[in-house]
Amino acid sequence: MPHQEVTEPDGTLALASTPGWEERIARFLLTRTHVGSLVRWVASIKASVHAKLFSGYMLVTLLFLAMGGMSLQTIAKMSAQSQLLDQVHERVHWSQEIQHALALQMNFTAMALLLRDEATIANILRENNRFNNTLARLEEFARPEERELIQRIRAAQELALTTVADIANLVRDGRVDAAMTLQLNKEYPLYLQIEGLVDQVVKREQQKMDSLRGSVAATNRRSLIIMAGFVASSIALAALLGFVISWSFILPVQEAHGFVTQVAKGNFEATINVPNRDEFGALADRMNQMSRELRTLYAKQQEAARELQSLNERLQQASKAKSDFLANMSHELRTPMNAILGFVEMVLDGIYGEVPPDLKEPLTDIQTNGKHLLRLINDVLDLSKIEAGRMELALAEYSVQDVVDTVRASLQSLALEKGLGFTAAAQDDIPVAFGDGKRITQCLVNLVGNALKFSKRGNVAVWVEQQGDNLLYRVSDTGIGIPQNELENIFGEFQQVDTAITREFSGTGLGLNITKKFVEMHGGRIWVESELGKGSTFFFLIPLRVNHGGAI
Amino acid sequence: MSGKTILYVEDNEYNLKMVRQLLAHTSYRLIEATDGEMGVATALGETPDLILMDIQLPKLSGLDATRRLRADPKTADVPIVVITSFALSGDDQKAKDAGASAYLSKPYSPRELLQMIRNLVPEN
Repeated sequence: MPHQEVTEPDGTLALASTPGWEERIARFLLTRTHVGSLVRWVASIKASVHAKLFSGYMLVTLLFLAMGGMSLQTIAKMSAQSQLLDQVHERVHWSQEIQHALALQMNFTAMALLLRDEATIANILRENNRFNNTLARLEEFARPEERELIQRIRAAQELALTTVADIANLVRDGRVDAAMTLQLNKEYPLYLQIEGLVDQVVKREQQKMDSLRGSVAATNRRSLIIMAGFVASSIALAALLGFVISWSFILPVQEAHGFVTQVAKGNFEATINVPNRDEFGALADRMNQMSRELRTLYAKQQEAARELQSLNERLQQASKAKSDFLANMSHELRTPMNAILGFVEMVLDGIYGEVPPDLKEPLTDIQTNGKHLLRLINDVLDLSKIEAGRMELALAEYSVQDVVDTVRASLQSLALEKGLGFTAAAQDDIPVAFGDGKRITQCLVNLVGNALKFSKRGNVAVWVEQQGDNLLYRVSDTGIGIPQNELENIFGEFQQVDTAITREFSGTGLGLNITKKFVEMHGGRIWVESELGKGSTFFFLIPLRVNHGGAI
Repeated sequence: MSGKTILYVEDNEYNLKMVRQLLAHTSYRLIEATDGEMGVATALGETPDLILMDIQLPKLSGLDATRRLRADPKTADVPIVVITSFALSGDDQKAKDAGASAYLSKPYSPRELLQMIRNLVPEN
């Protein structure tokens, strides 16, 4: 009953026969780390499988959403910084423009001294305006400490412009030397002072730009690190959730697999124990219920099997007793029959002297009836043996011709007595047959005996022929025939067509039944064709060579 | 003249009487035993020319008695006819296996028995 079809080391785990590296990693995580208790905790959460999977996906999705939010914030900050950078860049540009305008002012002043030209003086004013405009723009967004510096530049510039105006007037008056002295002693130092102040502004703006650039780079770095952190933690979380949730389902499945394997092997004591309080937990409960049910059924079945076993033993004992009884009874019945028939034969043989003529008939009657009684005893014993399953065929080679000759020799005189024609013949090229020749002879004697018994005139014929691998035995008579509705019953036990016939023809009704059983033990079949009042023909078909021991 | 000795081992007195009367008109001398053990003892003591052995006997079965006689050099070559009752098929084979020279099934015809005896141990 327990079959060894599935062999597994512990019977609970290992869906695959040899665990791969993935399996080994999973096993390590489950047994050596806290992941195992996490898996059991997830399994024990009272929620459906759907809810657990949905929550797992949602957690990962939330992390991604957070990452998206962070990214948007970073992008906004970076764009603000770059705007600021643009502004600073522009201011650096303006301060350089101021430097340029200042340089040109100085240049044009020098040119005015040389050329004494009104156009050049106008150029000085134009550059002066450009200087003032740019300075005003710079001042607009300047911080307070810078503003102070710009005030000083403007003050110096106004002074410088007054000096340029003086120089221009001197040039117009033709007092070039005085103009040149003024330019060298007053305007030039003023311009140097302004240049120094503008340089300070430029330096400040450049410093501001440098620090802004540094903070943009830092922001970039930070956002990269944050992104990488998010990506890494998303992957880790997804992997962890995937592992934990999936193993919280795989473990009960493996448990169930082990359990079912045990049950399949016939171990109904097995139970399945999982922490799950989801669909798998419900399934495990049902499986345990099934196991309990099976255990009960198995116990009942074992009980029934024990009862059957004991009944079988008692039946075997009874059968043995019956068989022993039959053996004894057979011998016990034959021993007195032996004396009765033996003494009658010896008397009739004249061993005790001449038999008086008027005693011959009664003595012959005793002999006839004694032989009949013996046949009945034999039939009853045969049937009892068949019923007890103790009848065995004595298989050997036999000659069909011998069988036919024996039948003819033993029933010729009876046919003659009744004035019936009797022929018994077989096809002359039948090969040696294999079976129980004695029992086949007995079958044929039974059929011919019946045919002679039920025929008052006409004849009885026996014919045997080979049909392929089979032998067909045929016994036909011109007797009373059998009604159509009785043809099926005729081979049953204790069956004669009707009781009136039984009275007239006598007989136990066992012959046909025994014949049928012997034919079937040979692996053959028997049937009859009959017409009421005209006669019957009995057929039996058996293999030419029987290839089995055949007990029925 | 001394006739051949025939031992009939049989517990039924009528069958014994029948064979006794059958052989009374012949030259055979009949000695009798009524159970298996007695049959073996008589056979070893008298060394008959032929033994008729019923298959079912008190004390020791005919087949066991036959086996014992076959095992003893005194009676190893004496012809033994086992009388079977065909209770179960295979009796013939069992008789042969036990060492029987021939077997006869009950009920036998006295005429046939006498014929068999004459074939096995001809009268003088």
